[in-house]
Amino acid sequence: MKNPYQTESVKILKIEDEGSRSRIFTLAAPRGFKVKSGQFVEISLPGFGEAPISLCSDPSIKNKFEICVRKAGMVTGALHEMKKGEKVGIRGPYGRPFPVEIGKKRNLLLIAGGLGLEPLRPAIWEIVKNRSQYKKVQIFYGACDENDLLFMKNYDEWKKKIDFHITLDKPKGIKTPMACNTGVVTKLFDSVKLYDNPVAFLCGPPVMYKFVIKKLKELAFLDSDIFLSLERRMHCGLGVCNHCAVGSFFVCEDGPVFSWAELKDIKGAI
Amino acid sequence: MTHGELQKFIGFLMKQGWKVFAPEKQPDEVRYVEVEDAAKVKLITEPPLHSFKRFLVPPEETLFEYKKDKMAEVKEAERQVIFGINPVDLKAVVMLNQIFERDPWYQEKMRRTLIIGQSLIPENVEQNIFQTEYEENILEHLQFDIFLEVQGKNYFVYTGSEEGQKVLEDFGYKNYEHIAYAGPIKEEGLDPIMVKYRDALRKNYKKEIWEKDLGTRCIECGKCTLICPTCFCFDIKDQPDLVGGGGVRKRTWGACFYNDFSEVAGGHKFLRTTAERIHFWYYHKFVRIPDQIQIMGCVGCGRCAKVCPVGINIFKVLAKL
Ligand SMILES: Cc1cc2nc3c(=O)[nH]c(=O)nc-3n(C[C@H](O)[C@H](O)[C@H](O)COP(=O)(O)OP(=O)(O)OC[C@H]3O[C@@H](n4cnc5c(N)ncnc54)[C@H](O)[C@@H]3O)c2cc1C
Ligand code: SF4
Ligand code: SF4
Ligand code: FES
Repeated sequence: MKNPYQTESVKILKIEDEGSRSRIFTLAAPRGFKVKSGQFVEISLPGFGEAPISLCSDPSIKNKFEICVRKAGMVTGALHEMKKGEKVGIRGPYGRPFPVEIGKKRNLLLIAGGLGLEPLRPAIWEIVKNRSQYKKVQIFYGACDENDLLFMKNYDEWKKKIDFHITLDKPKGIKTPMACNTGVVTKLFDSVKLYDNPVAFLCGPPVMYKFVIKKLKELAFLDSDIFLSLERRMHCGLGVCNHCAVGSFFVCEDGPVFSWAELKDIKGAI
Repeated sequence: MTHGELQKFIGFLMKQGWKVFAPEKQPDEVRYVEVEDAAKVKLITEPPLHSFKRFLVPPEETLFEYKKDKMAEVKEAERQVIFGINPVDLKAVVMLNQIFERDPWYQEKMRRTLIIGQSLIPENVEQNIFQTEYEENILEHLQFDIFLEVQGKNYFVYTGSEEGQKVLEDFGYKNYEHIAYAGPIKEEGLDPIMVKYRDALRKNYKKEIWEKDLGTRCIECGKCTLICPTCFCFDIKDQPDLVGGGGVRKRTWGACFYNDFSEVAGGHKFLRTTAERIHFWYYHKFVRIPDQIQIMGCVGCGRCAKVCPVGINIFKVLAKL
């Protein structure tokens, strides 16, 4: 029996600062490793522990993948201290991804808040690289201020192919590659006309979900046309330890991406 | 099998190198102890305060040893006999076997463990809240290696595994009947008690129970989770050596009542209030586990009510669902 907790050691190929508090680590991919939007790996640093981290790179890139990590505690802090050429442990990828394929039949509306852009980035790259296969796509991205914006160097390429809108809660007036609106992410609904009957992918903090879902329901979105990724504490990643349980689901295994139809009756889901 | 033969059999197992754990009546409580004198082994109706759980799911176990970035799996299971588990607690064995089906450490422990069950079930509702009876078809839905059915002063011996048959044969006892395990669910279908509580808890959220009553009384001490034979939630954490770059990755019991169980980076907790936490505990046992594996996550042993310092009684809570 293969031990599902056994990690595989992979090399750090590159480290770049991203935004003011995060770093992108490019890691060597084990054989057969595939990146899907919304899936995550457990990053293992012996002596510090493990942390679930989303895959955030272009799925068409083979042999390596990227994670974007904010320093939040012990494991993420220790990872920030590591150097190119050193090794980290990984297990996974785990979880149910965003159903990006739907975008070949239906228009898509991607709504990200803060770090929530990370798990959606593989979907954005997939669409940008295979543009003709997908219907119309819009992105609404909300961040606190200019310093929190992630993946800024990608915006020029993305906005050529996707209708991309950014809004900042408290802008500081710093120059950015594209003009930003001011206010919370739901404000974009007032100024931007939505494409016809889209499917929505949401990723952000619980407060964002409360407001965005209310807005989407006012706009008559079906519960089954709203997909969102949940964050929970995780220890096993395998549907056993119960830290990530929501109703009868395990966020690690049944999620992290759920449809609103699955979650709406579960108390405390968002 | 006579009682004398049973004691000889236990002695035989000890000589063969098995560590035998059996319940012993102590001044205050019945407790599992390691058997030193096989002639003292008895069958006791009163279930031990601490169940078999820690022999299969220990409070703390080492999963890996690491040196720099190399993780080496640790498997240190000793050959052990858990003696005298009653059918109520055997249901918890069945449940844990399913939950840890793909867990290498649990499976290794199981492989090195001989489970000897017995048929004495307490009749009082405090220790048998679902009034489980020793009825005809019960054994084919339980997992054990050997089972002793008490018949007057003697025992009728059943086996439930090849290992059980083998040790009896080696001992020289042949008069046993083998029972093939038919899975946890009876021919008649799902357990109606399970269905009743599952549906009630899933459909109704009664504020009076969770917020007005239990949420204000429970002090989140976690005793009920420690004592419960089916509570298995865990944490995984590393324990580094202070020097030398080595250490271990451990698994320890977790408790959904504790503050950090649901805490994520930034300090947000998804289970904030006592009411949310105790509801989560009940939901796990009576909805999530049934949804996952179609059996109840509570076997009705009553231990949680016995240890609760504020007198929360699961039997009374279930009646109000
Ligand atoms: C599905 C998923 C995807 C994620 N993707 C990313 C990502 O792409 N980039 C990123 O920077 N962060 C991501 N996170 C958050 C990241 O997992 C946490 O920041 C990280 O676990 C903190 O660990 P630590 O050891 O650094 O902090 P610790 O020192 O352990 O603790 C710091 C804080 O993190 C919380 N925490 C501890 N362990 C966990 C855990 N296993 N899961 C969640 N919170 C925990 C603690 O409660 C504490 O508040 C993701 C989380 C989930 C659940
Ligand atoms: S919840 Fe209480 S009654 Fe049910 S198995 Fe656990 S300790 Fe026994
Ligand atoms: S034993 Fe009682 S007080 Fe302690 S956590 Fe359990 S229900 Fe709450
Ligand atoms: S992380 Fe353990 S059950 Fe999901």
